[in-house]
Amino acid sequence: MIQYAAILLFVLGLYGIFISTNTIKMLVSLNILEIGLNIFIISIGFNYQGIAPILSSVSDTGLIYVDPLPQALVLTAIVIGVGTTALGLAFAKSIYQKYQSFDLNDMEESL
Amino acid sequence: MSAVLLIAIPLLAAFISILFKKYSIYLLFAVTIFNIANVFLATEGIIIIGGFSPPLGISLLVDTYSKIALLLVNALVLVIAALNVKAYPKYGTILLLVVAGLNGLVLTNDLFNFFVFLEISGIAAYLITASNKKPITTFRYLVIGAIGSSLFLLGLIILYSMFGTLNMVDMIKEIALNNNYQELVLPFTLMFIGLGVEAKLLPFNSWVKGILGHSNTFSGPMIASVYASAMGFVLGRFITNLFNFEGMLLTVVLVILVAGIVLSDIMAFASKKSREILLFSSVAQASMIALLFVNGIIIWAVYLIIANALSKTVMFMIINKAQKDVGSDEVKSLQGLFANNLVIGIIFTIATLSVMGLPLLVGFTIKLNFLTELADAGQIWTIAFILIASVVEGIYFVKLLLKLWYPEGNLIKVNYHLSFKLVFAIIALALLTFGVYQAPLDKLDNTVDTVMEVVNNG
Amino acid sequence: MKKLFGLILFMGLGVLIILALNNTISFPKFGSVDLSDRVADAYLDNDNVSEVGSANIVTAIVVGYRGFDTLGEVTVLFISALGVAFLFSFKKEKRLDLKFKPNFMLKHGSKLLFGIMLVVSLYIITHGHLTPGGGFPGGAIIASGVLLLYLADDKFRSNIKGFKVLEGVAGSLFVIIGLLGLILATSFLENFIASGTVGQLLSAGIIPIIYVLIGLKVGSEIASVVDNFLTEEESA
Repeated sequence: MIQYAAILLFVLGLYGIFISTNTIKMLVSLNILEIGLNIFIISIGFNYQGIAPILSSVSDTGLIYVDPLPQALVLTAIVIGVGTTALGLAFAKSIYQKYQSFDLNDMEESL
Repeated sequence: MSAVLLIAIPLLAAFISILFKKYSIYLLFAVTIFNIANVFLATEGIIIIGGFSPPLGISLLVDTYSKIALLLVNALVLVIAALNVKAYPKYGTILLLVVAGLNGLVLTNDLFNFFVFLEISGIAAYLITASNKKPITTFRYLVIGAIGSSLFLLGLIILYSMFGTLNMVDMIKEIALNNNYQELVLPFTLMFIGLGVEAKLLPFNSWVKGILGHSNTFSGPMIASVYASAMGFVLGRFITNLFNFEGMLLTVVLVILVAGIVLSDIMAFASKKSREILLFSSVAQASMIALLFVNGIIIWAVYLIIANALSKTVMFMIINKAQKDVGSDEVKSLQGLFANNLVIGIIFTIATLSVMGLPLLVGFTIKLNFLTELADAGQIWTIAFILIASVVEGIYFVKLLLKLWYPEGNLIKVNYHLSFKLVFAIIALALLTFGVYQAPLDKLDNTVDTVMEVVNNG
Repeated sequence: MKKLFGLILFMGLGVLIILALNNTISFPKFGSVDLSDRVADAYLDNDNVSEVGSANIVTAIVVGYRGFDTLGEVTVLFISALGVAFLFSFKKEKRLDLKFKPNFMLKHGSKLLFGIMLVVSLYIITHGHLTPGGGFPGGAIIASGVLLLYLADDKFRSNIKGFKVLEGVAGSLFVIIGLLGLILATSFLENFIASGTVGQLLSAGIIPIIYVLIGLKVGSEIASVVDNFLTEEESA
């Protein structure tokens, strides 16, 4: 049940991108969307009895692990999100250098 | 040779090229030529990566379909980069990554790996469109592209949690076993929207107008022909093998695509800017390609992608060069462009008439064949809407051609380099030849798609 | 009006997704995932674990089974660092000014901290196949150390040329190791070094080598992004 909170975070990010005209706020919303997605990815591998998928010297018979694959996928997704955000901020900065504003409404005409 | 080199060599070259920035564009030429040779030599079948047999590890799938796509993408990148080597010399490293990303998209047989390559080629596309010097439109493209790929990722994660695998062939088997299409509607819709954003399908493509409407001789053909054809091939793979739309979802998708064709042709009709006419025509073509794949007309969709990529390369380059020299892309201010440039005018006319689908040109053969197949499938309404759209398309293209041919008042001067003319002439000749001589087009027919064979034979 | 419309639209979308997931029988309920239906079960299999040789299964997947994804992931970071540098390439550039004057303690204390951070990051990178961590978090720690130096010293500028070389070399070595796998073994990125005993520092074949390269590459890339954001065009 708790994993549906992640979906709400996802649509909240979409809503933020939809209503905001400020480039920085749009990127923050994009990050909220990505965080919601990442939490959802992690949640699909969770098991109440499961432990972290790292082997130790203790005998592992009868141990249940959580699904390690979503954790690997989320690592990739996080890094990709970082890359997109960095590039988005760079574009926001170059928009600012050109129009001295972060608000897209201020410069719609000058397009 | 292993097909993995088609991705690994461009990546290696890209990493090396930042140490030797000046030579990156020459490295690109060498790599694309190597890749084109490699496409012919590569062995077909499943290529394992990392030594783990699928579904444990990632694998690539090489077949005739992906080979056609690879050939087209690598050759077009080579031509477009070569023609722009003077105007945009700094894009060597980025183009190497474009080659790696698009080759990966076409080849990969793993859904999450596909997402990774979607991001690589997407970020490379944002940087290519940065050459438009319109940071706002590029920023919008970045945000919309990021949302699209996030939706795709959400869809594929839901599929993973349902079927426990990421390998495409394995996934198709599991879906067939489960045999409950109702459950697949949500993930498939999310993935289709995600792909639709990159493939310029109509309701999800609000970025296109800003990007292609301000494009130049480099970004225009890169986005409108290289990316469009790669995404077309990928969309075809997904629609025919994984999605297999059924029931309600099929109806919705068909309505969206047909509406996309008609609406974008009407928008092109209403536009007074030459670049906008071209971009709306590309949007209509993208929806048309997807529509053919949804109806299972694979072979003609493939030809449509190729013909569209070739003609759009020529058209965008000619118009964008003229726009750069004249300083405006209003049809009015480009009047009489071809009065001084006879060769360019003839080539542009051939490309336009081919897109419209006039007899003796390759576009006609394709249109005739897929309309026949649609008629066989009993899709009368679809045919009716396609014909209406074709009439609208014909009117606006003829209007555009008339304006561009007949001067009014001052003659405008645009100089096209000899290399431009030469390459365009070859493309125009190809469009003419394949329009008259169709034998090679009929030969491939059933060998194009092999995923289902792999699924059935294990 | 737009806000209300958007709120209704996207909340509706969220509810729709949740309801659809809730009604899907194949979609497992939260916390009761059965691994035996999934591919992931094979990753925890004893034979496979000793073949790969990494005690941390997530690392085994990230660098071993799905190493090709990781190559792509490093490429994404590479191209966005490249793009940031591309957008901020000025003829004459200078460091962004700080709004305060850093004192002696801040300047030198941050250098001491940087050394500690470097050691921690090296530990995290080299133990990626044994404990949580690895190249990506380790590289991020290196880059945050560089950010610390930038924020604590108004004269500091790191050697960006050096970072570029490091980035290019580490990336190339990653692909070359992959190609060596193709030549020495049978497929791209395949392990060609004995994987050793699970749990030892020197085990898991090429995984720790690749993770060190990734750590260096991620560290230098994010550090150069930081540098690019902290420079501006010099107004002549």
